[in-house]
Amino acid sequence: MRADRTDAIFSALADPTRRQVIRALSEQGPSTATGLAANLPVTRQAVTKHLITLADAGLVTSTRRGREKLYQISPRPLTDAVSWMADLGARWDDRLAALRDHVLTPKRRR
Amino acid sequence: METVEREITVPAPPGEVWPALTHSDQVSVWFGADVALDARPGGRGVFRWPDGTERHAVVEEVEPERKLSFRWLPFQRTAWGDVEPIPSTRVEITLDEVSEGTRVRVVEQSALDRRTTRIQSRASGGAFGPVLAAIDA
Repeated sequence: MRADRTDAIFSALADPTRRQVIRALSEQGPSTATGLAANLPVTRQAVTKHLITLADAGLVTSTRRGREKLYQISPRPLTDAVSWMADLGARWDDRLAALRDHVLTPKRRR
Repeated sequence: METVEREITVPAPPGEVWPALTHSDQVSVWFGADVALDARPGGRGVFRWPDGTERHAVVEEVEPERKLSFRWLPFQRTAWGDVEPIPSTRVEITLDEVSEGTRVRVVEQSALDRRTTRIQSRASGGAFGPVLAAIDA
């Protein structure tokens, strides 16, 4: 995935309320801002603002429904964000194992 | 959320592990890249991977035999000379003397938000429950 995209995704997900919005969308399925606000401790206006940020990061998409927009999760960027972190962890696992081997190699150059 | 934490215990004292973190020729052995590192606060690190990718870092904290941290500059140069943006992350490596030797701990997290944000994940249903749990972890 594109790295600047990763930054936008992590930045969007760094906010606990936005994570709650994502979680609510995951549980309720496609919802309007009004429908989401009913189950969250924030106003509809605040939810709408968070949804716009999430949409900018590509984490949710929207379709018009009457006077309101219906939002739904866009699964790919979320999965990409998780796999990026998993890759990073795996790289450090490899590096740390190599570091240990290096330190324990008696003939290493000093 | 946007934090990766890993650790390993090396059966050697911190005094033997430290040079492996700070001497360029030794870092190059285990990092997976050719490394030129100036391990002083404000010093630069240049990392070249076998595929030709090059990344730069700036050293932040240096506490001998205890802590080394650096921040990746938010771009990389490919073998073809293209410059691409990469996530801004900060790496902190700490050494702790333990009875078995040295515990080496790495924390890499977004430099955008250095707070380690965690929320307790409710056992949630929904198709993305496992994905969300992984992000919260």
